[in-house]
Amino acid sequence: MKKLLRAAAVAAAAALALTACGGGGAATDPSNVSPTGEIKPREISWLLSRPADGAVINIMKKLADDYAKDHPGFALNLITTPDRPSYIQKLETLAAANKLPELFDTDATPFAQELAKQGKMVEADKLLKSLDVYDDYRPGALDYQRFDDGSLYMIPFQFELEFIWYNKALFEKAGVSVPKSLDDVPAMCTALRNAGITPIAIDGQDQWPLERYVAYQPFREAGPDFVQKLKKGEASFADDAGQKTVNWMADLGKAQCFQEGFSAQGYSDAQNQFTSGQAAMYNIGTWELPSLATDKLNSEVRNDIDFFTLPTTEGSVTSANEFVSPSGIGMAVNSKTYDPLVSDFLKFALEKYPAEYAATGALSPTTNVQTAIPANATPLYKKALETANTLGDKQAMPWDTQLDPTTNGRLQQELVLLVQGNITPEQFTKTMDDAIKQNAPKFFK
Amino acid sequence: MLPNRSRTSVLVFLLPPLLLYCAAVLFPILQSLFLSFFSWNGISEMEFVGLENYVRMLTADDIFWRSFFNALLYLAICLVLQLGGALLVASLLTSLRRGRELIKTLYLLPAVISTVAIAFLFVRIYSIDPVGLLNQLLHWVGLGSLERAWLSDVNTVLAAVSAPEGWRFTGLYMLIIYAALIAVPKELEEAAVLDGASKWTLFTKIRFPYIRPVWITTTIMATTYGLRGFDIPYLMTNGGPGQSSELLTTYMYKTAFTSTDFGYASTISVFIVIECLVAVGLILFMLKRKADS
Repeated sequence: MKKLLRAAAVAAAAALALTACGGGGAATDPSNVSPTGEIKPREISWLLSRPADGAVINIMKKLADDYAKDHPGFALNLITTPDRPSYIQKLETLAAANKLPELFDTDATPFAQELAKQGKMVEADKLLKSLDVYDDYRPGALDYQRFDDGSLYMIPFQFELEFIWYNKALFEKAGVSVPKSLDDVPAMCTALRNAGITPIAIDGQDQWPLERYVAYQPFREAGPDFVQKLKKGEASFADDAGQKTVNWMADLGKAQCFQEGFSAQGYSDAQNQFTSGQAAMYNIGTWELPSLATDKLNSEVRNDIDFFTLPTTEGSVTSANEFVSPSGIGMAVNSKTYDPLVSDFLKFALEKYPAEYAATGALSPTTNVQTAIPANATPLYKKALETANTLGDKQAMPWDTQLDPTTNGRLQQELVLLVQGNITPEQFTKTMDDAIKQNAPKFFK
Repeated sequence: MLPNRSRTSVLVFLLPPLLLYCAAVLFPILQSLFLSFFSWNGISEMEFVGLENYVRMLTADDIFWRSFFNALLYLAICLVLQLGGALLVASLLTSLRRGRELIKTLYLLPAVISTVAIAFLFVRIYSIDPVGLLNQLLHWVGLGSLERAWLSDVNTVLAAVSAPEGWRFTGLYMLIIYAALIAVPKELEEAAVLDGASKWTLFTKIRFPYIRPVWITTTIMATTYGLRGFDIPYLMTNGGPGQSSELLTTYMYKTAFTSTDFGYASTISVFIVIECLVAVGLILFMLKRKADS
């Protein structure tokens, strides 16, 4: 028995030693954005969460190849995990092991803020200013990447606008028109259901699409501050803005706004329902322009499709030109491995990136380039791009990047139950406020 | 009896696998036990919290208890499908004269298909919009009132995610039990038949007692696999809607890798290890008592 105890003690001590090794590691000064010294070409890695054959990856590959011509020995190793939950797990595990690569993607999550606090990421505003590209960026694109305290550690590579796409023919059939207020939506759903039409197609499997809806009412009622207070426990679902969204979500459920069994349906299921003319509305961003506003779209619905932006409400504190306009997951620069090479490559790539990106028909996070409209685009493509020019200053942040991960997970689960009518608005309010009370203090000390 | 020298060589050959086993299995378990006394998010300093994680798990975490009972129900459904189904099919197979190999292969097939494929297959089968196989069948046989979104209904989702796991391994256990059944000596059965034993008596008095050791092994295998079930529920519903199909394993995984609460996740994993040990102990105890009586 003594032997066994001793063995256990040794094992525990070894475990402690191992984890201690993982926790340390010297971080360099995250505000030193212009390292001095010789540029020594080597292979660097970018851990990212973007579509494998998407524009960002293709362009960065090309730019890296161009850079390698003048700097033999340089290579950019792109490691992508497009599935977001899997990516976040990978990132967090690598961060825990102190093995983050030179560049890595992250949203402005509480976890990322923790990394920033520990000095593990280079200050992006200083970096962009030193490269003399800071002023090219759309303020909204940078704001999306900022933490609550205004600090900036991630560089955006996209700029997207989220719209509610709708089918004019189905609206006409049900005798409804574009809603003037968010509060009109439940009644619209009832009218559409009565006409035998699925009101809204939603990807329930990925959970973030439903979580967008819960952000809408508070953004109109109380502005972008609400979620920042809510996540710290300074506001609650029991407040006016909170109750409004809880009851609205329950009403959407009662009016059967979403397709039956939505919680088990995926991204392409939802899009197919809309593009095949079965569902009347579909909430998605401009990253889907190539499939919704070009001749790739099913010809039977092509002329019936239009979009509207997030409706306002009576007494709304945000205006109609302010809605969800994310600049996608951002790229952080690891301060530990930041050296003259990484700095020089970023300078090269960030200067050339916007023009290349805009040429693919996407909205650049900068304003110094003009987006090229593809030859097969429908008139809607141009209309969508032009909406970016009239954006307001405030933007609705997706809640999944704001809340602490535990509360976020609980919210995604409880929302489905609320919309399906399995729990009452009162139960939802209590569960969520308790969850925030329990989990927020750990993340927002 | 082996001569001395070869006994030493046997020990020498057994030692490396034992060390490997300790490094791969025992060490992580001990490390989990160690971590379970800490609060740690992976990047912060580890903070010793004593038994706080255990107190929280046992007294203050509603999702933990919900997923514990879900896991038990999941286990029950898997066991009924896997062991009950396997015993039934294996018994029927022994009375078959032709085509045994073909049927055996067909039943075994799901066990070799990848889990991800099975999960997607069943998501389609349970779907309501577009109408999936299950709802279509119900409609055809006139049970249209039972049509539903099986994976979105909080009352059916747990059974719906358990069934594919049960279905998947029925063939494997069937194969094991079938091998045991055909090893039952024919003279015993013939003697019993001559004495006028019915088919049922034959099964309960001769065949089943004969295959009991194999039955114990398969039960232990199926139970421990069932308690560790993770992939199919995780892929099909991710524990939802709400916590209706959350198992201890999926909850632990989310706690570790989504909430980055490694200390608390370790506490849950320690519970899972204990739960598996208790389950195996219970099975051995019950079956032994039965055999003794």
